[in-house]
Amino acid sequence: MQAVSARQLQRKFGPYTAVDDLTFDVEEGEVFGLLGPNGAGKTTTIRLLSCLISPTAGSAAVCGFEITEEPGKIREMVGVQTENPCLYERLTTFENLDFFAQAFGISNLEDKRQRIRELLEFFNLWDDRDKKVDHLSKGMKQKLALARALVHKPKLLLLDEPTANLDPESAAEVRTMISQLSEREGRTVLLSTHHLEDAEKLCDRVMIVNRGVRVTEGTPQELLESVGDPVVEVTLRNRSTMIANSLRGNAGVKAVALADHQKLVITLDNPDSTTPDLVAAIVRDGGEILSVKPLTPSLEDAYLQLLGRNPV
Amino acid sequence: MIRPHGVLLVFRKDWLEIRRNRAVLFPLILVPLIFAVMLPIVAVTPTLPFQTQVSSQGLLPILKPFPDQVKEEVASMSGQQAIVYFMLLYLFAPVFLMIPIMASSIIASDSFAGEKERKTIEGLLATPLSDSEMLLGKMLVSFLLALITTTASFALYSAVTDYLTIGMFGGKMLFPNELWLTLIFLLAPSLAFADIGLTVLVSARVKGVKEAQQISALFLIPLIATVLGQTSGSMAFDRPLVDLMISVIAVSDIIIFMTAVKTFGRNQILTRLS
Repeated sequence: MQAVSARQLQRKFGPYTAVDDLTFDVEEGEVFGLLGPNGAGKTTTIRLLSCLISPTAGSAAVCGFEITEEPGKIREMVGVQTENPCLYERLTTFENLDFFAQAFGISNLEDKRQRIRELLEFFNLWDDRDKKVDHLSKGMKQKLALARALVHKPKLLLLDEPTANLDPESAAEVRTMISQLSEREGRTVLLSTHHLEDAEKLCDRVMIVNRGVRVTEGTPQELLESVGDPVVEVTLRNRSTMIANSLRGNAGVKAVALADHQKLVITLDNPDSTTPDLVAAIVRDGGEILSVKPLTPSLEDAYLQLLGRNPV
Repeated sequence: MIRPHGVLLVFRKDWLEIRRNRAVLFPLILVPLIFAVMLPIVAVTPTLPFQTQVSSQGLLPILKPFPDQVKEEVASMSGQQAIVYFMLLYLFAPVFLMIPIMASSIIASDSFAGEKERKTIEGLLATPLSDSEMLLGKMLVSFLLALITTTASFALYSAVTDYLTIGMFGGKMLFPNELWLTLIFLLAPSLAFADIGLTVLVSARVKGVKEAQQISALFLIPLIATVLGQTSGSMAFDRPLVDLMISVIAVSDIIIFMTAVKTFGRNQILTRLS
């Protein structure tokens, strides 16, 4: 079953179109990433799916309910971690969770206390339960915001930039916790981010959006593969111009480029089958090989290339 | 659907926040305290020429619109007694009504606009609490605090006035009296409710607390007009006027409340924030 099914979703603010014709599905149990630069429409998409605002056109079903028809039911099933932590700074850590637990309908006192304790212990905040939120660090606030989103055991977790404005250490901690949550509790997670590391480390599938429009969608591996053929870098002891020329006619070799006379950058159809033949050909031509290195494009390369290809 | 549990939940959360918010508590305590103590002191301290020179007969032109009973009472007093009596019972009555307006305005403007400023509104709107539950919970906090502030200020005003004037009036206490009891327990709550309803509605539509507070200035205009009207002798802040105000404001309360419930929606709040 699909946790989210969005069809031609559109949201305009006056003349500005924040989200335009967005169609995508999120399967139950997966971690789905909305990846895009600032102003891509990620926050608006999250707000639409959490029924905080209504669409100008199109539709979306969240946990089986239409966002325009049954927003109340969706709010009960969805946990939202907004761009800002949205915590009451004059209330304590415990009081914040207590308020939200009750707002989400946990009325049994014992169940409520147990759930709050469980979450605060998981996020290493139990010792800070009586501290006012005002006195917590940014990282702690972000963890508390995650705990708040989880307090009612939602079926779907919507996370808007969960690692934004965090130092690398706190970001890594939050990332680990999201990963653990997804594995341990099997929750469906839809997260928006402009941090490629979040997408790479957390997401099963990613949709790249830019200026409200879908650019592409796939697993992080598929996105990597979509941006170009595999490349192998061969470093030689001797000059490589002649060898480069002789390699150009070989089967499976699409292109050969020279980098600082000793390095060959070779684009291949299939590196697994072609690399051994390639190495043999270089040796046959008198090349003394120092190293052979497959050059994998990073998700950042893929992301920048995909955005560059689709300047909306 | 409005669940009392949801209304009380928002009420309790806001109450807890306000109790810990010095920026709200400070003016909420200080301003009424100044009003309640300073107004009686100003009235009984003859510092201005008219306080010492005017006779009770000289005050009669100002009392022209008042009922005969008031005029007769004043006519039997000395000049200073008449001035103190007129100021404390009638002239300051509309001034005192600024307390519920000020109190409700401070708290109500902090409701949705304050949540927007502190960037907590999205978390609240993402809960399954209904729009009406949030609206009522927030109105209830403002209303209750406005009532507490007004009642406490009135008690202090009465005590200070009686302490300062009991000798001047031969052992007779000016407070409490029927007019002021009606003012505090009927007119002030109606006025506070109308102000809260409008301020909360505006608070949901603007980005900041200051913009939301400006709406309360509208309520001060008729009060200031009443003060000026009384000093010029063209109107009396007496029981018939108070009754008329209660009736008009009670109708306004119903209209404002119905409009608030009908038009308040979370979609609008975040759309305006985007």
